Amino acid sequence: MNLNRFSEKILNFKWIIILLVLASTLFFGNQVSQLKIDADILKSLPDGDPDAKLLKSIGKTFGGNNMGIIILETDNIYQTSVLEHVQTLTDTVTKIEGVSSVSSLTNIINIKGSDYGIEVGKLVNEYEMPTTSEDFNELRKNILANEMYKGTIVSEDETSTLIIFTLEEDANVNIVAKQIIDKTEALQLPEKLYYIGSPMLVTYISDLMKRDLTKLLPISFLVIAFILFLSFRSILGVVLPLLTAVISIIWSLGMMAFLGYKMSMISNNIPIILLAVGSAYTIHVLNRINQVKESGQPKVVSTALSYVFIPVLLAAITTIIGFVSFIFGAYLDMIIDFGVFTALGTFFACLLSIFFVPAIMDLSKSKKNKTIKQKKNSILTQRILQPLTKILFRQPKAIFVFWLLLIGISLFGMFSINRSVDIQEYFKKDNPTRLAENIMVEKFGGTKPVFVLFKGDMQNPEVLKKMIQTSDLMKESPDINSAMSVAKLISEMNYAITGSREIPDSQEKIEQLWFLLEGNEVLNRFVNEDLNEGIIISKFKSPDNESKKVFSKKMKDFIQENSTKECQISITGMPFVDITMDNSLVKSQIGSITIAILFVIIFVGFILRSFRGGIYTSIPIIAAIIILFGVMGLTGISLNIATVLVASVALGIGIDYSIHIYTHFNESFQKNKDLQKAIGESIQISGKAIIINVVSVSAGFMVLIFSEMVPLQYFGILIAISMVSSCLGALTLLPAILILMNRKKQLQ
Amino acid sequence: MNCIKISFLISILFIGTSKIYAQDAAVLLHDMDEIIAAPKDKEAAVIMIITDKSGKEKKREASLKQKGRFKKLYRYTKPEKQAGIATLSLPDNAIWLYMPAFGKAVRINLLSKSQAFTGTDFSHDDMSGIPYTERYKPKFINAINPKHYVIELSPKSKKSKYTKIILTLNKTIHYPLKMEYFDKTNKHFKTAKYTYEKKEGYWYAKEVLMTDHNKKHSTKIILTDVKFDQGISDDEFLVENLKL
Repeated sequence: MNLNRFSEKILNFKWIIILLVLASTLFFGNQVSQLKIDADILKSLPDGDPDAKLLKSIGKTFGGNNMGIIILETDNIYQTSVLEHVQTLTDTVTKIEGVSSVSSLTNIINIKGSDYGIEVGKLVNEYEMPTTSEDFNELRKNILANEMYKGTIVSEDETSTLIIFTLEEDANVNIVAKQIIDKTEALQLPEKLYYIGSPMLVTYISDLMKRDLTKLLPISFLVIAFILFLSFRSILGVVLPLLTAVISIIWSLGMMAFLGYKMSMISNNIPIILLAVGSAYTIHVLNRINQVKESGQPKVVSTALSYVFIPVLLAAITTIIGFVSFIFGAYLDMIIDFGVFTALGTFFACLLSIFFVPAIMDLSKSKKNKTIKQKKNSILTQRILQPLTKILFRQPKAIFVFWLLLIGISLFGMFSINRSVDIQEYFKKDNPTRLAENIMVEKFGGTKPVFVLFKGDMQNPEVLKKMIQTSDLMKESPDINSAMSVAKLISEMNYAITGSREIPDSQEKIEQLWFLLEGNEVLNRFVNEDLNEGIIISKFKSPDNESKKVFSKKMKDFIQENSTKECQISITGMPFVDITMDNSLVKSQIGSITIAILFVIIFVGFILRSFRGGIYTSIPIIAAIIILFGVMGLTGISLNIATVLVASVALGIGIDYSIHIYTHFNESFQKNKDLQKAIGESIQISGKAIIINVVSVSAGFMVLIFSEMVPLQYFGILIAISMVSSCLGALTLLPAILILMNRKKQLQ
Repeated sequence: MNCIKISFLISILFIGTSKIYAQDAAVLLHDMDEIIAAPKDKEAAVIMIITDKSGKEKKREASLKQKGRFKKLYRYTKPEKQAGIATLSLPDNAIWLYMPAFGKAVRINLLSKSQAFTGTDFSHDDMSGIPYTERYKPKFINAINPKHYVIELSPKSKKSKYTKIILTLNKTIHYPLKMEYFDKTNKHFKTAKYTYEKKEGYWYAKEVLMTDHNKKHSTKIILTDVKFDQGISDDEFLVENLKL
């Protein structure tokens, strides 16, 4: 297709384009206002993973997904005033609409054997609070005697106690959780309160996401605007790149809402990424318009567009490939969603820079006949790009060797990369959620749930005995503090009546003991309505992956040996999901990068009609990715669900720089057959746009340093590092290779 | 001057009426207690239908023997799994549970009467034989409706789970039609609806439906084959006789 004619056609339809953009922006803008945030990590776990699927289904059947916890911490909980405060907290939470049940030290039911039979009552009588040391000793004795309370409701060091609540199934998690925090904090109790559990975590992360968005997006916007102003020194030079970025953000987020997707803790970054990425294409278009104008050619906008059309399209498609590559091998659904919608946003930004920006520029030219001014020989060109061209021609081999050395060091660093799938690492060390997690780990055996599901008759003695056997095995692990099940309740009831903690041998006895438990809410946490499914509830303490693997192997071996048709056993929980997630980190990293590189080489090679071109353009970005992993390994930044995205994002964005240099070089070299001129022009014209772009993109990403979420801070730093290294690769390594490869050709 | 007179008359009328209402409320509640405890003894087949929030029903059947206000024996017949289990309530909050598989009766010391009665939506307090007049202070709310009175009951004990009960009483016979229970947060969380019937000269609750609005859970108790004043022996309520 004749690009000149195509470019002219675009300008002929400028008003239609502008109106279409305006209408679409209004439509999608309206959709964005309906976009909802969903920070529930559990929902993002894939159904394809049996552990994740089982975890979700257990959470739904037994209500664990809606459970929140308030930790009350003080010097000693065995004080009347502290118990009164626990009572106040319990009452306060009970009153909140959307809370279905609350259990705490002051309302928990205690069934125990006594000299004359069974005593059924509450652990603490709210109307007669313990006051004397004898009262407290009795309470302490009751708590220590029961695994249901010891280390579960009250910490063994007696400094903390839990108020556990469950939300109604249809409750608005964010609103209820906020009310719980606001109303309990308003009590101004002298004890410290911490909040944890799925509803609180989801609400807290949503809050951080909103805070991040409202804080970081304007900063990022201002930083990029400032850099653009320094580069173009004109209003249009600032407004147009930012406008295309903002419109592409509105369109992609609007599309998310329109298609019924929700903003996750990963897609929360889409606006910042699009702000940085989306402005790049317009920068290149504007830069070319300036260059054409300076060269005095006619039909400035359409000529510039015909030059820049292919590289911009190519750059966008390669970036899209980078984002889309997440679909292959990503474990979490939210990463796939992130990849798809960022790719879509990039596509929108590309469309806008090719259609909308030239239309506006043509309009502005015809109205004002004013140009975006750039000094012909700016400081950037004089001080950096021209000397760089000279050095490149003088020392191409030395530059090549320098890069080889850098790659060598980075390869060495790559082997020390750590992996982490611990969601707590999302929070800063002094963050209240992280502090709450620490208390839970130190005093209540952790927060990572472990469930063992038993399918069989829940009143069958053999099934219950197998449950006890499984719990005992679990407790052999140093990371398991307690393992609760209906079998444990039955054994306690049997103890209250007969003095023996064994599971009775007769089903009849079990069925009759069950009579005492009926109507007790705790039963719903352990067995289903039909009494053909039951679970052991436990928590895993260590975040260490090796410990999880050891535990997983031991349990899975046991289950394989003991699961029968009458008593089918399966195990799941966050430690198991973590193991799969950890394995998938490496798999998805290798998968997405390999796919992205292959696609990029094939695609660039196809468009440039040169396979060699494809290889050349990918060399600097491969080098940049190796450096990225080297930096991660050498600095101890771990590979996690956020940093695993960096390499592909960097590849998608970074390849653009090489594409611009290579296409510019190719075009000039084929036209003039002058290697020095071709390299000089590419570096001084495209290189300039690249540097402006790198500085603005990196600065935009560096804003993520101020994010409330730790992996996002690293994400920002690492992307900036990759941008700078891929820019340096495109401006030094690629030209050095091109010089070395073409020098002989020119001499001939 | 006229205004003062009118205000005075209204005040007198108001004070007078409220006093009358307070007296009336106590009398009505006393009448209700009398109706409940009128028979010397009672024998019936009981069906308990427990419905969970998904609408799933569980059915239990038992035979009931009651003598006076405080001696009550439930012997479960269905489901099969629970057949033979018996609960015996005696004066002074003594509750005994007999489990045939264990072959012995165990005394249950109920530290809190707000506990659910054997997995139903009724608490032990709701099933108590202690007259309402002893447990609650009545206050007349209105008698506008031609068919019923509305009385507010405030618990005398601070240990009650309820802050108040709004009682709707049949205007002619003074048996309860409805009781609405309010929790500590003053939220209406439970409702009991009564269907009374007259047999052998006694009015009795043929059907009671207790709904827990928070849990979206309900229990219906239906009495059939009711017989009154059969001369049930005290021996029937001896712990040692629980074993059949």
